[in-house]
Amino acid sequence: MTPILQQFLSEARDFLQNISEKLLKLEKTPGDAELMSDLFRSVHTLKGNSGLFDFPEMSRVLHAAEDLMSVVRDGDLAFSQELADRLLDAMDFVALLLDEIETGSVSGAAHAQASVRLAESLRALIGQGSGAVAEPLVPVKMVPREAVVLPLAAVPMALRAAWREAARTEAPLHWAVYTPEQDCFFKGEDPFYQARQTPGIVWQRVSNEQSWPPLAELDPYQCALRFDLVSTATSGALEEHFRYVPEQVAIMTLTQQALDPSLDLGAEVDQAASLEAQTNAAASPFVAEILAAQAIALALPDTVSWLPGRLRAIASTLAACYRSLGRVAGLPALDAALALALKTNQAEPLRGWLVLQGTIAGATEQPPGPVASATPATASAAQGSSAGAGATVAPTMSDAPISRGGDELPATAVLKVEQTKVDRLMSLIGEMVVAKNGLPFLAARAEAVYGVRELSREIKTQYAVINRIAEEMQDAIMQVRMMPVSGVFQRFPRLVRDISRKLGKEVLLTLEGEETEADKNIIEALAEPLIHIVRNSLDHGIENPEVRRSAGKAAEGRLVIRASQDSGRVLIDISDDGKGIDPAVIKRKAYEKGIIDETVLERISDQEAVNLVFAAGFSTAETVSDLSGRGVGMDAVRNAVERVNGSVNLTSETGKGTRLRLSLPLSMAVTNVMVIESNKQIFGVPMEMVLETVRVPRSEIRSIKNRETIVLRNRILPLRSLNELLAEDLPQVSNELDEMATLVVQIHGESLGIVVDDFREVVDIILKPMGGILNAVPGYSGSALLGDGSVLMVLNPKELVTWQ
Amino acid sequence: MAITFERDRARFTDTVSVDEAEVLIAWLHENPEPNLDLEACTHIHAAPLQVLMAARVPVATWPRDPAFAAWLHSALT
Repeated sequence: MTPILQQFLSEARDFLQNISEKLLKLEKTPGDAELMSDLFRSVHTLKGNSGLFDFPEMSRVLHAAEDLMSVVRDGDLAFSQELADRLLDAMDFVALLLDEIETGSVSGAAHAQASVRLAESLRALIGQGSGAVAEPLVPVKMVPREAVVLPLAAVPMALRAAWREAARTEAPLHWAVYTPEQDCFFKGEDPFYQARQTPGIVWQRVSNEQSWPPLAELDPYQCALRFDLVSTATSGALEEHFRYVPEQVAIMTLTQQALDPSLDLGAEVDQAASLEAQTNAAASPFVAEILAAQAIALALPDTVSWLPGRLRAIASTLAACYRSLGRVAGLPALDAALALALKTNQAEPLRGWLVLQGTIAGATEQPPGPVASATPATASAAQGSSAGAGATVAPTMSDAPISRGGDELPATAVLKVEQTKVDRLMSLIGEMVVAKNGLPFLAARAEAVYGVRELSREIKTQYAVINRIAEEMQDAIMQVRMMPVSGVFQRFPRLVRDISRKLGKEVLLTLEGEETEADKNIIEALAEPLIHIVRNSLDHGIENPEVRRSAGKAAEGRLVIRASQDSGRVLIDISDDGKGIDPAVIKRKAYEKGIIDETVLERISDQEAVNLVFAAGFSTAETVSDLSGRGVGMDAVRNAVERVNGSVNLTSETGKGTRLRLSLPLSMAVTNVMVIESNKQIFGVPMEMVLETVRVPRSEIRSIKNRETIVLRNRILPLRSLNELLAEDLPQVSNELDEMATLVVQIHGESLGIVVDDFREVVDIILKPMGGILNAVPGYSGSALLGDGSVLMVLNPKELVTWQ
Repeated sequence: MAITFERDRARFTDTVSVDEAEVLIAWLHENPEPNLDLEACTHIHAAPLQVLMAARVPVATWPRDPAFAAWLHSALT
C-alpha cells in the first residue's frame, strides 16, 4: 500500500464520518445553507480524491451523490429523510469499498453493478426536483439498454449461422455495444484501445454514430465512435472489462431468437448481406455527404434555365442513394415529387420528399450540417426512425459548469502522522528522561570518587537545563497524542438513530464535553465499550413510546453522553431516563444463572445487586436480539475499561434511569507510581490504586480467623502482607515505633490493606509491559527504568490478590 | 513521431497517439489523394482513427496484426 493510498483511506474515513454527521444535523435543520454547502464540499473533495486512484465504483457513486447535493444546495430540491437515507446508503457503500481496499481484497468489479444502481437511485432523486434543473447535471450519456439495435445485417451470413450454433450451446456469445462519451479523450481514455482489449473477440466493428462532417469542420477530439463487438467471454467478464464506463456499454446475450434469420431486415438485405457487410458500413458516411450535397442544391434559387436538368439529376442521385441503403419504400413518392417539381418548375416538392425521409431537420435555408443518415443499425429498424436515432446521440457535456464556489478548503495546519512515529518519539523521550536522570549520579561520583567539586557543580547546572527541556519535550509529545473524545462520540448520532429506528423507539441524544482530551490509546479503547453501553441503554433502558407515556414520561427518551476532566482523569457519563435496573430482577437472574448463591442473595445491597450486571455471562434480556443481550456486553465493557486502568461505576434508579460512569486515565504513557520497599527490594504500585497510606501500630492488628485486620475509621480493613502475596516466607519489617507501613488499595470496589516494609517517593515512570515469557507472569503490570539505571518492577495488586 | 509522411503516403509505425490527430488533419488538407501504410502500426488512438474514418483515407497496406487489421477493416473500408 502506497503512502498516498494510506493517506487517502484515513482521510476518506474522516470525510465519511463528517458527511454522515452533517447529514444527521441537516435532518434536524434542513434549511441550514452553510451546513449544506459544507456537506457538498466534503462530498466533492472525497469524490475528487477517489479519482486519484483506480476505484471507478467509488467515484461513480460519489459523483452521483455530489450531483444530488449540488441540486439540494442550490435549493432546487428539498432535503428530505429519503434523501438522507439514500446518501447514507451511498456513504456506507463507500465505507465498504474502503474496508475492502484496506484489507487488500479489492474486488471492485463485483460492486460495479451495485454502484451503478446506487448512482442511478441518487440521480433518480434529482429528477424529482423541479424538472428543469435535472438536465444540465446529468452529463453521462446512458445507453438505453433495451433500445440498442444490433446491426446484425453488418455481420456476414456465415458468421451469423455459426453464432446461432453457439447460442444453442451452454456458452452463448455476447454482443457489446460501446458508445464512448463525447469528451472521453479529455479524460485520457482511448476507447479504441479499450475495445481492442476486450477478451474473446470473435467479431468487431468500429462505426460512427453520426455521419462525418467535412474534414475542415471535424473536431477530432469529440468522440463520435461506436464499437460493436461479439465476444465469447461471459457477460461478467465483459462488465469487468468495461467497469469504468458501465453506463456507456450495453451487453446483450446473443440468443437464438436474436439471431433468427426470419427476423432480419427482409429478404433482399439478407441476400445482400455479405456484400453489405463490406459496403454498408463505409457507405453510410459517403451517402450522407451526397445527400447533404443534394439538399444544398435543392436550396439554391429556382430561377435558372437549367432547373429541370438539375432536378432530374438530383432525383436520380437520391434514388440511387436510397437504393444503396436498401430503403426503397419511398422511391415511388420520389418519382411523383419529381414529376410535380418539373411541372411547377420548383425544387420544393423534392425538398419536401427529402424532409419526409427524415434526412434534413426541417426545411432550413441554411445548408444542413451533419446529416443524420440511415446507418446500418437503423436500417433494420422502421424507416423514418433514423432521424430520431440520430437525434438521441446529441447530448453535449454541459458547458455550464456547476458553480462550485467555496471549493477551496480552508488551509489547516494539521499534519497527519502515523501513530507509530509518535510512539517512537514517546519511547525515545522516555529513554532520554532515564538518561538525564543519570546525571545527578554522575555529579555525585565526580565529587565523591574523583574529588572534583567544580565539575560536579557544572554537571548539576547542565542537568537542570536538560531536565527542563526534557520535561517540556515529554509534555509536548503527550500533547501530540491527545485527542478529543469527539473522535469516539461522533459515531453515536448515527448509531442511536439507526438503532432507535430499528427498535421503534424515540431517542434524543445529547453529547456534551466533546472537546475533552485524552491520550489516543485511551480514546480508542473507549470506543468499543461505549458502543456496548449505548446499545444496552437503547435496548434495555429506554422504553417504547407507549410504555413511556403510560409511565408519565415524555415519549422521547433522553440519552446523554457527557465527557469531563477531573484531576488527571477523564470521566465519561452515559445516562438515560429509561426504566432503570431493578435490583430484585437482577438478584433473581443472578441466582438463577448461578452467579451468586443463596447466602449472597440474602445479603447483598441493591447497589451491589445492580453491579452484578458486570458479572461474566449475565444477561437480563428476555430475548436475545442482534443488538445486545448475549450476556457479553457489560462484562466486556468492564474488561475493556480496566485494561486501560479505568473503572466503571453504575448507578440506577428503578423507573427513572441508569447512569454509567467510566473513569479513565488521561494518558497511559506516563504512569504515576508509588515506590515501596519490601524485603530489601523496591516495587512500584500504580497511584490510581492507592487510596491512602497509613502506619498501623502492630498492637492494633487483630486476627479474625487467621486473617489479620485492623479497624480503620470504624471500618474493618483486611490486611495482607506483600511478602506473603509474593510467596516470600518473611515477616514485614516495622519502623522504630513498631508501626507497620500499610498501603490501602481498592480492588473491585473493596478496600484492602497491603502491609509493606516502607514507603518511598512517588515517581512518574514510563511503564514498559512485560515482554516474552515474563508476559505470562501474573501480579506485575510491567517494569520501568529509574534514574540510577536500576529496574523498578511495577506490581498489579488486583492480579496479585485474586491470583492467590 | 509515429507517422512519417512521404508526399501522398503516411506511414504509421507502432502506436499512433491522440496528439497526432491534428497533424493528420493538417496533412490531409494538403494532400487531396492520400493513402496509408499501416504495416508496422500496432495501434491507433481513437481520435486519429476518427480522422481517418471521416476522411475515408484509402489503405495501401494493412497492419500485420490480424486482430488489429480486422478492427481497421470495419472502420476504413
